[in-house]
Amino acid sequence: MADHVLRLVEVGVDYRTPGGTVTAVSDVSLDVPARGVTVLAGPSGSGKSTLLRVLSLVERPTLGNVELRGAGTTRLPNRARRALRRTDVALVFQNPGDNLIGHLSVGDNLRAAAQSAGRPERVDEVLDQLGLPGTAGWKVTALSGGQQQRLAFGCALARGATVVLADEPTSQLDRASADLVLETLVDLSRRGIPVVVASHDPRLIALADTCFTLRDGTLVADGAPA
Amino acid sequence: MQIPWRAAPRAALSSPLTLLVSVVTALLLSFVVAAAVLHSSASGSAAIAYQEDRLCDQLLHPGLDAKKGVPTKSVNEVVDIATKAAGGGEVLAGTYTEVRRADFGGAATFAKFGYREGAVDRLRVLEGGSRDGLWVPLSLTKTVEGFQLGQRGMGGRLPPVTAVYADLNDPLDQWWCTERQFVIPNIIDKNTDVTSAVVWMPSRQSFLDLPESVTAGGVGMTVRFPTEAPATAAEAQALLERGTAVLDRANLGLRRNVVLPLPVENARATIGNVRSAILPLTLISLLIGLAGVATVTSGWVQRCHTELRMLWCRGSGPAALGGRAVLELGLPLLLGGIAGLGVAWLLLPVYAPSTSLEPGTVPTAAAAVGVVVLASLVVTWLVAAFRTHRAFQGRPSSGRARRVFAAVPWELATGVLAVLAWQRLRESGLSTPVKIGGLPRIDAAALAFPLLVVLTTALLAARVLRVLLRLSHRMSLWHLPAAQIAVRRLAATAGPVTGVLLVGVLAIGTIAVGSTVAGAQKASLDDKSGFYTGANSVVQIGTDLVTGARELPAELRGSTTIVGVSSQYERTALVVDPATFTDGAYLGAVDPDELRARLTEPLRIGTTPNRAVQLPGLPPLNPTAGLPSFPKVGTSGYVVPIDRITSVKDVNTWYLWSSRSAIDLVRPLQAAEIGYRNVEERSKAISGLPFLTIQWTFTFVTAIGGVLAIVAAIALLLAIEVRRRQNAVAGALSTRMGMSPATLLSSHLVELGALTGFAVVVGSAAGAIGTGFAVPRLDPAPRLAPGPVLPNLLPLLTTTVLGSALVVVAAAWIALRASRSARIGELIRG
Repeated sequence: MADHVLRLVEVGVDYRTPGGTVTAVSDVSLDVPARGVTVLAGPSGSGKSTLLRVLSLVERPTLGNVELRGAGTTRLPNRARRALRRTDVALVFQNPGDNLIGHLSVGDNLRAAAQSAGRPERVDEVLDQLGLPGTAGWKVTALSGGQQQRLAFGCALARGATVVLADEPTSQLDRASADLVLETLVDLSRRGIPVVVASHDPRLIALADTCFTLRDGTLVADGAPA
Repeated sequence: MQIPWRAAPRAALSSPLTLLVSVVTALLLSFVVAAAVLHSSASGSAAIAYQEDRLCDQLLHPGLDAKKGVPTKSVNEVVDIATKAAGGGEVLAGTYTEVRRADFGGAATFAKFGYREGAVDRLRVLEGGSRDGLWVPLSLTKTVEGFQLGQRGMGGRLPPVTAVYADLNDPLDQWWCTERQFVIPNIIDKNTDVTSAVVWMPSRQSFLDLPESVTAGGVGMTVRFPTEAPATAAEAQALLERGTAVLDRANLGLRRNVVLPLPVENARATIGNVRSAILPLTLISLLIGLAGVATVTSGWVQRCHTELRMLWCRGSGPAALGGRAVLELGLPLLLGGIAGLGVAWLLLPVYAPSTSLEPGTVPTAAAAVGVVVLASLVVTWLVAAFRTHRAFQGRPSSGRARRVFAAVPWELATGVLAVLAWQRLRESGLSTPVKIGGLPRIDAAALAFPLLVVLTTALLAARVLRVLLRLSHRMSLWHLPAAQIAVRRLAATAGPVTGVLLVGVLAIGTIAVGSTVAGAQKASLDDKSGFYTGANSVVQIGTDLVTGARELPAELRGSTTIVGVSSQYERTALVVDPATFTDGAYLGAVDPDELRARLTEPLRIGTTPNRAVQLPGLPPLNPTAGLPSFPKVGTSGYVVPIDRITSVKDVNTWYLWSSRSAIDLVRPLQAAEIGYRNVEERSKAISGLPFLTIQWTFTFVTAIGGVLAIVAAIALLLAIEVRRRQNAVAGALSTRMGMSPATLLSSHLVELGALTGFAVVVGSAAGAIGTGFAVPRLDPAPRLAPGPVLPNLLPLLTTTVLGSALVVVAAAWIALRASRSARIGELIRG
């Protein structure tokens, strides 16, 4: 088994804007370990979120290659990339509400997540793991921000994702809620699911097993957290 | 099916606004399509009803006629065969002798004998009334000195007279309509004309038993098959086929009297004409409606962006996400479609000329609505799939396609089409009917001309607005903060603003075109009919009323005038009484006082050659004064004041013209026992079907314009509601920075007022220009004066301005309310 789950090889991402082409990420190569928490750190606008989207197969890089478990994904057709996202990759967005379907209950959100990956529905088990037992019938809006974000990671669990990526998962939360999310990340990691997080939250960076630091779209430091 | 898709229909409830807009969009869309189907079908039924109104009810079913020559011994056989052929249906036979000597009271009197079952039930009895003897007309009794009931004619060979009835005369009751040639006597001048009213026999047998000298040479006969009047072209066709089969089965030697083929043909032509004329506008409306569905879907994609992104991240493709849109918006679209069909059906009496529909029309309309709903679902799926594809997995758009689309000179294309339509309209828009009573060929492409002018103008206005909004950033009106803010707001939402303007101009222009052309056709039909007959109703009278030997009934003074017609070698002169002419004649838009002043001397009308003529009863005519047109003579003839005539008796014919209806004109004449004949009514003088076809077509155009106006108003209100939060934040910020609420309201009023005002001005101008050129050319009867003229546009313009002002005030109020609802939190969050 490879010691990395994701690998970026000389990846670059450009955007066309009315003012011309803007380079968001340039010549980034890195390996995301197959275990533990990996953090993409850096100031706002450094390219963390862009790189996370590339890693989660949501966005194709302009240059370079993205490998998932050793297999190249960049030249795959859309259909094949969708299949990989369906079964392997889970992406959690910054805003808790963006990860859930508001008009469905907590349980139905988990069921929907499991169905999307063709996995068995283990609602109560996942809710127990998240520390949210008995909330299956609740409306999503009845949960706090932190609970909603935990539920979002729960959806990743329910889908049986082999790698979980999260974009600033604590930035919209108060400290207590953020703590709940950090616990969940650690818990996922302990279950052997590699977690990749884009964040400039020092507490999250401190939690990282591996940390890559970006500035102006280029990788300025990699390896263990500072 | 996965839960997000399964729960999609329920998810629609999460946004009542989207739900409402989807339902309303589909409702309007399917209303237009269903109404187009129902309207064209109803036009056929209206055409049938209009033509039936001008025919005798009892002749709608083909009948049989013999003016004379049927042997009396064959009469019963004819009736029996006809009854058998009718298969149990009612058969009404009439038998009439020629005018023969009857010699009532021993005097040399003449009479025509007749029998028709039920005839005596429909006569006004003046004396007697027993049904076992002869019923003689009053006109006959006046030829017999000392006439009394019980007398027997022909030296006692006839049954005794048991009743005297009032002579039948025009306008006849429908039951008599087909017998007109037999039952109306000529009694204008009893000194010269032979009376020929009918002496009614008590039974068919008594008729057949009349002396040989009366029935010698055979009798006249009518065989009718009274039936319910058909309401639609299909029913009329069925009646025609059924009736023809009856006559075929009867196979009698009588002349067939079949009047329905032309009405059926005309009704079918009307359906085709109306359908082809409203098709282009219906298609344009359909495209606008589908664009509306696309806009609703785009809004849905925007609103559900986070959920769609999440589902896409979980591996769902654009096709599946498009399906998600269909599942959420499909039910509202379907409900809207059904509601549109229902509304189109319910409002049929409002917009259609008839409520009777051809068989299969409603299923056809339902099928059309089904196709439209299906098309809406396809558009929804395509737009959602395309938008999610472009948002999530496509290359970021360079906007080139949009720029190319915007750069294409669409208005040039529609302008070229308008020029082509103008050519068709000028050269052969409405051609002469190929058969008498037939419809002129109506060129749908020619009818589209005013609408193409409106469409071209709307596209041009949209382009000009885009350019103005693009340039508006150079404008500095800070000394008028309300205007400056209004301009910036318009510029910031250039897309929706242009869309609202486009639909607004189309709506106002379409309403202007529809109502103007329909109004012009109606007025033209009225004017031409009035000029053709000369008055609302006209009857021919004898000279005794002209010479003063008989007094005109007092009741008719002030509403009638006596007019003589003298003609020779295709030259016609009207002899008019200047003092009363304007009381009775149809004047249209002519000023009565001005006309009265002109009538004091002989006039040359229109194109009449400038040379002296001599007409019977008139002095030599070579008038120098003239008028371009005149009632009855149209654009060629002479008008002579009555005091110039040399001989009343030599003038060919005299008429009583009246502004009253025919029935109101003849009633006082009958009461005063003044003879008259040849009753004419303006409403039935000329076949109005070609005018009505165009009128019905453009009434529907007005209805579509109304729908477009609703779309424009909703789009405007929706644009305000969609940017509610921006309005709220901007308004709250502005007022906290010192802007007064009045200025804020003014800014909204200026913004919305400018947009709506632009649409009103451009739409009205386009409508007026298009119809200004088209109306004079849309003349189904160019040989009859006067030609169609543009009606007064002021009432329409006033209504449009008031309606638009209401929408502006409502929209400004919504915008202002939104800005007052802003919370500090929203300001902080930005």
